[in-house]
Amino acid sequence: MQAIDSKNRHLPNRLGIKGWVWAGRYTWERYLYTLHRLTGLGLLLFITIHLCINGARIGGESTWADVMDIFETPAFKVGEYLVIAAFIFHAINGGRLILQHLAYTLGKPKAPVYPYVDAMRQKRRFMWAVLFVIVVLAIYSLVLFVI
Amino acid sequence: MKETRLKILQYVSGIALFVIAGGHMLYSHFSNSDITSWSSIADRAASNWWLVFYVLLLIFGLYHGLHGLRTIILEYFSISDSSVKVLDYIFVIAGLAILGYGTYIPVEAL
Amino acid sequence: MQNLSFKVQRYDPDKDSSPHMQEFTVPFTKGMSVLDGLLYIKENLDNTLAFRSSCRMGICGSCGMLINRFPMLACHTPVEELETDKIEVKSLPNYPIIKDLVPQLDLLFEKHQSVKPYMIREDSENLERPEAGLYQSVEELDSFMQFSYCIKCGMCMAACPTVATDSLFLGPQPLAQGYRYCADSRDEADKERFDIVDTPHGIWLCHMAGACSEACPKGLDPAFAIQLFKRMMASQSLGIRKRPKAAPEIQPPKEIKPMIEVPEFTVQ
Repeated sequence: MQAIDSKNRHLPNRLGIKGWVWAGRYTWERYLYTLHRLTGLGLLLFITIHLCINGARIGGESTWADVMDIFETPAFKVGEYLVIAAFIFHAINGGRLILQHLAYTLGKPKAPVYPYVDAMRQKRRFMWAVLFVIVVLAIYSLVLFVI
Repeated sequence: MKETRLKILQYVSGIALFVIAGGHMLYSHFSNSDITSWSSIADRAASNWWLVFYVLLLIFGLYHGLHGLRTIILEYFSISDSSVKVLDYIFVIAGLAILGYGTYIPVEAL
Repeated sequence: MQNLSFKVQRYDPDKDSSPHMQEFTVPFTKGMSVLDGLLYIKENLDNTLAFRSSCRMGICGSCGMLINRFPMLACHTPVEELETDKIEVKSLPNYPIIKDLVPQLDLLFEKHQSVKPYMIREDSENLERPEAGLYQSVEELDSFMQFSYCIKCGMCMAACPTVATDSLFLGPQPLAQGYRYCADSRDEADKERFDIVDTPHGIWLCHMAGACSEACPKGLDPAFAIQLFKRMMASQSLGIRKRPKAAPEIQPPKEIKPMIEVPEFTVQ
């Protein structure tokens, strides 16, 4: 064992960043984790751009009008809605995460009985309720946005 | 228990953002139109309450976002425990710099 | 199903630079497991195939492999459960590969050891030479019993998305076992374990993707254990934790009263 370790011939086999996304045959919660991360990064990126843009108002009214003209194109409108949707998802899923990370809504430990179902899947209805709220709010905000 | 304290602040800022950023989203997108017109901006720039609101939004938003980014960087680059201090300093300085910039703009316009 | 197609990952450290897949045809027999298929290959088709197995009944934890893109115990997986005749077997991800399907499990064992997975009491002398038993009620036992069924197969670490990128992350198995000892009323070293686990690469890099609990062959639910651990640590950090007293010693009863009347012996 020592000889093999020192020659370091064992092939590293980490999944890397693909392991964040590749969810193979896992459950919904694994996908929700990936989406939470993506929306978080997206919102962070948006905030930095938003701050820079809003900082332009220090240049006075005409600078502001020039900057605002860029944002009238349809592509930016789509982007604006994506930010709203990302915020809705991240906020409501985040609420679910705060509760479940502190082990609320997961029940009590009890002896496992085959077929094994873990605590998160036993409380699957909570996750469905959260997803339902997210989808309803996203559609509602889309309707309000378009009108 | 430093990491635990940081994470509890992350949860608290998350809940605070739910209210503040949620309110900001509702007001910006779904209230009366013309939120980006110069007169509307000038009205809000003159008010102290709006200043407090925006600064709070910035503080909580920056903490929550930068802590999340710190987590992702720690995970992806496997920063060793001794280098985490350096990373933390970078984040604190970057966060304070952005906070300073974000506070300077409305205060200057006041 | 007559014949099964087994696509097995091969890697010889002396010859190959990267793993490749090799296909074998294995005859189907009713009730066979994936391990039976691998043993057939080793006995009849290619005896250089390397894999670990021991008890062949799902209790030793040796034969963890990635079977059809999901970590499973090869002995515990009936071929019929996979509902296909194309079976792909690879080495467990996130562990370095020694040869073929054999992962190197050092990272699991070292991290497990670092979390002090044993009973620690303040009176260590008494722990080594106990004079009496420690009292533990049924409720106290139930609060951690589920998490003591770990067979150290390492499949939770293979499933975890954080272990996939971060070599310093403790992992679901050590964290769940750390909770098992902190929740045990007989143990008194929970503050020590909090300090071990509250690091930049410790418990707070768990984002509850739940994959570890899905992969666990013993229904242990490490994700649940980790969230309970987080609650313990958060309440300790905020100063609102009500730490129960450590299990007291209890002398065995001096007189045992029978529950039913014992009849007089008629034969001396």
